[in-house]
Amino acid sequence: MAKIIRKIKKISQKLKRVSVKTGKVFKKAVTVTKKKKTAAAKTRRVISPRQLPGISAEQAKYFTHPEVTPKEAKRPAFQLESSQLPQKYDRDTLVLMVRDPWWLYSYWEVRDSTYQKFKNELGRFFDTAKKTLRVYDVSYINFNGSNAHRYFDIDITHNANSWYIDTAAPGRSWCVDLGLKLSDGRFITILRSNIVTTPLDGPSWITDEEWMGPDDLFVKLYSSAVGLGSSPGKVKKPWLELQRRLAASGGLFSAGFSPVKKKEESKRKFWLVVNTELIVYGATEPDAKVSVMGKPITLRPDGTFSLRFSLPDGKQIIPVKGKSSDGIDEITITPIVTKETR
Amino acid sequence: MNKGYLCFVLHTHLPYVRHPEFDDFLEEDWLYEAITETYVPLIDIFERLVRDGVDFRITMSLTPTLISMLGDGLLQERYARHIEKLIELADKELERTRFEPEFNRLAKMYSERFQLCRDVFNRYGRNLVSAFKKFQDLGKIEIITCGATHGYFPLMETTKSSIRAQLKVAQSQYEKIFGRPARGIWLPECGYNPGDDHFLKEAGLKYFFTDAHAILHGSPRPKYGVFAPVYCKGSHIACFGRDLESSKQVWSSVEGYPGDYVYREFYRDIGFDLDHEYIKPYISSDGIRINTGIKYYRITGNSPEKKPYVAEWASEKAAQHAGNFMFNRHKQIEYLYDLLQKKPIIVSPYDTELFGHWWFEGPIWLDFLIRKIHFDQDMIRMITPMEYLEENPRNQVITPSMSSWGYKGYSEVWLQGTNDWIYRHLHEASRRMEELTALYREPYGLIKRALNQALRELLLAQSSDWAFILATGTHTSYALKRTKEHLLRFIKLYDDIKAHAVDEPWLSEIERKDNIFPDIDFRAHCQIPA
Repeated sequence: MAKIIRKIKKISQKLKRVSVKTGKVFKKAVTVTKKKKTAAAKTRRVISPRQLPGISAEQAKYFTHPEVTPKEAKRPAFQLESSQLPQKYDRDTLVLMVRDPWWLYSYWEVRDSTYQKFKNELGRFFDTAKKTLRVYDVSYINFNGSNAHRYFDIDITHNANSWYIDTAAPGRSWCVDLGLKLSDGRFITILRSNIVTTPLDGPSWITDEEWMGPDDLFVKLYSSAVGLGSSPGKVKKPWLELQRRLAASGGLFSAGFSPVKKKEESKRKFWLVVNTELIVYGATEPDAKVSVMGKPITLRPDGTFSLRFSLPDGKQIIPVKGKSSDGIDEITITPIVTKETR
Repeated sequence: MNKGYLCFVLHTHLPYVRHPEFDDFLEEDWLYEAITETYVPLIDIFERLVRDGVDFRITMSLTPTLISMLGDGLLQERYARHIEKLIELADKELERTRFEPEFNRLAKMYSERFQLCRDVFNRYGRNLVSAFKKFQDLGKIEIITCGATHGYFPLMETTKSSIRAQLKVAQSQYEKIFGRPARGIWLPECGYNPGDDHFLKEAGLKYFFTDAHAILHGSPRPKYGVFAPVYCKGSHIACFGRDLESSKQVWSSVEGYPGDYVYREFYRDIGFDLDHEYIKPYISSDGIRINTGIKYYRITGNSPEKKPYVAEWASEKAAQHAGNFMFNRHKQIEYLYDLLQKKPIIVSPYDTELFGHWWFEGPIWLDFLIRKIHFDQDMIRMITPMEYLEENPRNQVITPSMSSWGYKGYSEVWLQGTNDWIYRHLHEASRRMEELTALYREPYGLIKRALNQALRELLLAQSSDWAFILATGTHTSYALKRTKEHLLRFIKLYDDIKAHAVDEPWLSEIERKDNIFPDIDFRAHCQIPA
């Protein structure tokens, strides 16, 4: 058993290292993004995914415009909503939530009157007491406050009202007390949380007689399911391997940012884009028929017209033909424009 | 010889974004872009497949928020206006690009696409849900539901009545729209916690999907891995696990198909590229440049220099990729069939908006894939979960493991430093909603309206989209606004109800703004099933 726990710990440490690494990558990406965005705000720069990392396919759903802080501030504020959410609900609460196989999150609120009650009871001990989270392993039992398999304590900062808890042991049930550790060693519970169960970080060791297959079949299926081919190996490994590979290679997560791998561009970022457009405009009798390069155009009610063309390098011949409404008079004027870029 | 099944799942979701108080609201574009770039192209493909006598099966979730938006008169009116403007812009582009045939061709392509959008939109009476319903009635697609507002269930474990409400409200909307209860569900973010299946059962659902590790790490060990569904212990609801190999081929930003260099570049949009004065009528009314949907370049390569898009090359590539996908499924199914001595089911779920919006060629890829499966082979059969269960009613019973399809596979995306603070408010609101449902059995008049609105506000605050956007760290202001707005409205409603002092004009105002689920019954949030 001890061996298994040690193994699990090792694995979870490994995974933590992986997660720290990807965390960093993501942060970097964000910084780059922000820099580029300032550029986008000032200029009409094209935004390309290869220059703007950090946006994944899933985020693209919510992408309509680059974040432009000064302009966004101009958007109308909401009314009732400009007020703030309550800091407190005046209710004693301690809630425990599962983040993943290893980590829990808990938040709490303790009413002033509740603290006061403990203060009155504990007298001088109260002032020197340390606020503590006591984390109980309550797997497979009916927890009565004193029958936990084991517990560990976390000293918390005085003003904290939430905490992430590293349990280092997946597939267990947990309960947390928020309490006071007194100078004489006593632990006084203020609030007790709900009980949660973390998922396993690998396959279950429990098999079903009726549905049992040979072990190597499961190994093959497991590897195959996670998309690592059929390479035999330890059953637990493929999942970890997959997580690692995904972290390194722009994953396949739907919801959630993939830590998109981007080459750190070492080149300097200055740039300039110049394009040209050509405006052809004119006027004639309002009822005349005008065509430009053989294609009829619509005149404004006063007989004027204007056309706008993207102008590439080279020579453009643009015959403009006007014909009177009775079809008798006809005039053609042909501007010839040459564009050259040096 | 048929040796296995392919269950292709499209998860179709957008959060409820509708702002009658503004003439023009940026985030409403999420819907308009999805209609133009994804929903209409898919409907167009389904129509042509049916016309050509090609049989196919797709399982498609339409989330209740999306169904509500597609059926909303105001948003329909705004989409009609939106597509008219795009058609006008494409026509201007046809003229502007006259000296450049490589762009002119593309302007023509967009002009035709936008006109198709207008036609399809009008042909289905401006409500695209009726198009999807038609294909369901034809037996080609199976429409499944989702949490009412896409709330993430694993973080509602201390206030489970909210899970009940998310499911009940979704199911009653489905029944009203499609004339029968939904049989399957896409759990929001694929988020599953053991025991949630009992709520699915209560809502009359028969099956759901999870990520692979829900089944692989389930207990006891699943005999067939993810290649056969399992029944949840206790509830006997069927659970289908995602196949990661086929997902990766499409999803991965590195190895996936969408990154191919001849495919269209998502970020080069004329909304950003063209002269401000020219493009001004087609971007945000305050002059902020946004995507218009007209994009002229192909991915080209890793450098910022981009070359013009060539539709024929991209289409050719999509056909190749469809062939490659089928080839790989053949190999996979052959291997698994030998291993299992039974026909495996490959479950391949994707975000629908990936197709067309992000991966422009996605819809034609799907078209090629379906046609190839129909005409060129008989090893794979496309199937819906319900058909599979009818043919294979005997499956193993296990307890799947808690999981999601988010980054790292669990709840971290929706529970981290940037968004963890929302849960104390959401949970308190859920608790108060439970209190109200216990307090009021048969309310009437103003109190009843206020109670129903309170549930609408709570559900809207629970959308996982807000926590997700907060986590990504970009464009967070809107997600923040929505989270706070709905929570604050809920808090005022709660206080007013408890004080028997409902502010009628204000209530009418927020009923008009947050008008989702007109027939909602607040008792859906009760603690004990009715």
